[in-house]
Amino acid sequence: MNNFMIIYVLAIPVLTAFICYFAPRHSVAASVSAAGSLLLVIVSSMLVVSSFSGSVMLFSGMLFMDSLSGYMMSIIVLLGLASSLYSAGYLKHELHAGLTNIKGIRRYYALLHVFIFTMLLVTVSNNLALMWIAIEATTLISALLIGLGVYKRELAIEAAWKYIILCSVGITFALLGIFITYYASFGINIGNGILNWTELKQFAPRLNPATMKLAFIFIIIGYGTKAGLAPLHNWLPDAHSQAPSPISALLSGILLNTAFYGILRFLAIVEPSTGHQFTGGMLIFFGMASMIISSVFILVQKNYKRLLAYSSIEHMGIISIAAGIGGPAALYGALLHVLNHAVAKPLMFFASGRIQSRYGTARIESVCGVLKAMPMLGYITFIGVFALAGSPPFNIFLSKFSILKAAADTGLWTLTAMFLVFSAVVFYGMVMSFSRMLFGCGDEAPEDIDTAETDFWDRLGTGVMICLAVIVVVTGLWLPDFLNNAIKACAAVIGVM
Amino acid sequence: MKNWINLVSLIDFIAVGILLSTIAMNALRRVESCVKAYRINSLLLSLLILATAFSVGDAHLYIAGILTLLSKAIIIPIFLVRTIRQMKVTHEVQPHISNGLSLLISGIMVSIVYASLSEGIFVTGFSKNVLQISVAVIMIGLFIMITRKKAITQVIGLLVMENGLFLAGFALTFGMPTIIELGILFDMLMVVLILGIFAIQIKKVFASSNLDKLTTLKG
Repeated sequence: MNNFMIIYVLAIPVLTAFICYFAPRHSVAASVSAAGSLLLVIVSSMLVVSSFSGSVMLFSGMLFMDSLSGYMMSIIVLLGLASSLYSAGYLKHELHAGLTNIKGIRRYYALLHVFIFTMLLVTVSNNLALMWIAIEATTLISALLIGLGVYKRELAIEAAWKYIILCSVGITFALLGIFITYYASFGINIGNGILNWTELKQFAPRLNPATMKLAFIFIIIGYGTKAGLAPLHNWLPDAHSQAPSPISALLSGILLNTAFYGILRFLAIVEPSTGHQFTGGMLIFFGMASMIISSVFILVQKNYKRLLAYSSIEHMGIISIAAGIGGPAALYGALLHVLNHAVAKPLMFFASGRIQSRYGTARIESVCGVLKAMPMLGYITFIGVFALAGSPPFNIFLSKFSILKAAADTGLWTLTAMFLVFSAVVFYGMVMSFSRMLFGCGDEAPEDIDTAETDFWDRLGTGVMICLAVIVVVTGLWLPDFLNNAIKACAAVIGVM
Repeated sequence: MKNWINLVSLIDFIAVGILLSTIAMNALRRVESCVKAYRINSLLLSLLILATAFSVGDAHLYIAGILTLLSKAIIIPIFLVRTIRQMKVTHEVQPHISNGLSLLISGIMVSIVYASLSEGIFVTGFSKNVLQISVAVIMIGLFIMITRKKAITQVIGLLVMENGLFLAGFALTFGMPTIIELGILFDMLMVVLILGIFAIQIKKVFASSNLDKLTTLKG
C-alpha cells in the first residue's frame, strides 16, 4: 500500500491550499500553510525513503518514483516549508504597509500550495506528456503568483505577461518534441506508442537516432526556456525581480530545477540512441552561453534582485554544462549543484526580501551599511554571497570543483578554461555589488531603520534563514554519507550504463 | 483502395484550408476578424481529425475530434470575444509591419518549410503534406505573435501555434492517448483564461491594450 503514498503526498498541498483560501485572518492562513508544509515534509519523507530502495509505481505506470524523483521531491518539500514559514513574516510587513489585504493574502497562500503541488506532480510523472502538463501548470500558477499574488503593480503584470508568453511558446516546442518521441516509439513497438519514461528507457538504444535528435532539439528549446538557459532567458530576470521574495526563492531554487529535471529525463532516453557527442554538445553549448551572458549582466547590474536572477542563470548554465560533460563524476556534480544552489539562492532571496522591505528599494546604490543596521541579516547575506560566488568554505564551491575536475579529467580543456574565467567574472561582480551594500556608507549607517524583531513570525523567518545558512556552511565542509549515496544513486538513474 | 485515395485528398484539402486561414490572419485589420479566422482554423482542425476518425473507425479519434471542437472552436473563441468586449479595445490590429509585407513573409516561410522538409525523416501514416503544413502554421503563428502590438493578438498567435502543433502531433502519431489529450487541452484552456485576465489587467493598469508600454523591465 506504499504506492498510494504518492496520492497522499499530492493531496496534502491541494487541501492546504483549499483551507488557506478560506482563512479569516492572516495569522490563521500562515499557521495553516506552515502546518500543511510541515505535514507534507513528514509524509513525503516516508515516500522518498521507499523510492530510494526501489521504484514505486501507480496507475499502470502513469505515476512513478525512483531515486531521482525522490531527490527532487525532497528538495521541493523542504524549500516549500522554508518559503511557507518565511512568507508569514514577509506578508505581515506587506499587510502593515497597506500594500495588500486579506483577499490578496488568501490568494497568495492558496496559489503557493498549488504551485508546490504542480512541481511535485512533475517529479512523480512517468508519462512524459503528463510531465509536460505539470510543467505548463507550474508556469501558469507561478505567473499568477507573480502578477496578482499579493497586490497588483504595473511592473509585476508586465513581468508576468512576458513570463507566461515566452514560456508558453517555449513549452509548445517541448510538446512537439514529445510528439516526435512518441512517434519514434512507434518504430520499435508497432501499433502502440510509448510515453512512459521507464519503458522508453528500456527501448532507448533502439530508437531512431535522427528522429530523437530532432526531438531533443525541441525539448531543450522548450524546457530550456523554462529552466532559464540563455539565450532563452529573457523572462527570468523580470519574473524573479518582480515576484514577492518568497516566490522568487521558489522560482529560482526549485522551479528552474524542475524544468531541468525534464531535460535530464529526456537525456537518459535520447543519449543511448544518438550517442553522447550530440546531447553533450547541445547541453554544453546552452550552458556556456548562459554563463557568458549572465556574467556580463552581473557586472553591470544595478538592481540586487535582478543580480540574483542572473546568478540563477549562471548556476543553471553550470548544471547544464555538467550534464553535458556526462559520466558519473560530472552527473554527481550536477545533482550536488542542484541541491547546493537550491539552498543558497533561496537564502539570498529571503535576505534580499528583508533588505528590500527595510530600505524600500531594490537598487544596489541606495542600500548601504546592512551589516551595521541589521547585523544578523548582514552575516547571513555575507555567507550567502560568498557561497553563490563559489568561494571555498561553502557548499557551492564543492560542487563547482567536482564539475571542474570532471571537465579536466575528460580532457575538455577549453571548457575548463572558459568555466574558470567566467566564474571569476561572476565572483567579482557579485562580491563587488554586495560588499557595497553590506559595508558601504562608512560612518553614516542609517540609524533610523527599525531593527527590533517584533513578533513570532519574524523570528521564524530569521530562523529559516539561519538554518539555510548553517546548511550552506556545513555541507561545504562535510557531506553526510546518506546524501552522498543518494546523489550517486540519482546519477546512476540518468547515466548511460 | 479508392476510398483511401479519396480520404488522402480530403485530408490534404482540409489541411490546406487550415494553412490558408492562418495566412489570412496576416491580412486582417480587425481583432474580431482574427478571432473569426481562428475559429475557422480550429473548426477545420477538428473536421480533419473527425474525417480520419471516420475512415479509420477509431473511437479515441472521435473523442479527440469532439474535444478539439468544443474547446478550440467554441469555448476559446467565445472567451476571446468576451475579453475583447470587456477591454473595449479599438478594433484595429496595428501590426508593426504592413499587411502586404507580412503576407509576403508568411509566403516565404511556407516555401522555406516545404523546401527544408521535402526529404523529411518522417514517414507519416497518410499524408506528407500535413506535417509540412503544420510546421508552417507553427511558424506563422510565431510570426503573428512577434509582429502585433495588441495583447489579444499575441494570444491568438499562441493559439494558432498550438493548432499547428496539434496538427503536427496528429500527422505524426494519430494523436495521444485520450486522457493525455484531455490534460493538454485543459492546460491550453487555462493559458487562454489566465492570459485573458492579464490582458484585462494590462488594459486597466497601463490604460492601453498595446504592448509597447511594457518596456520598463530590461537589462
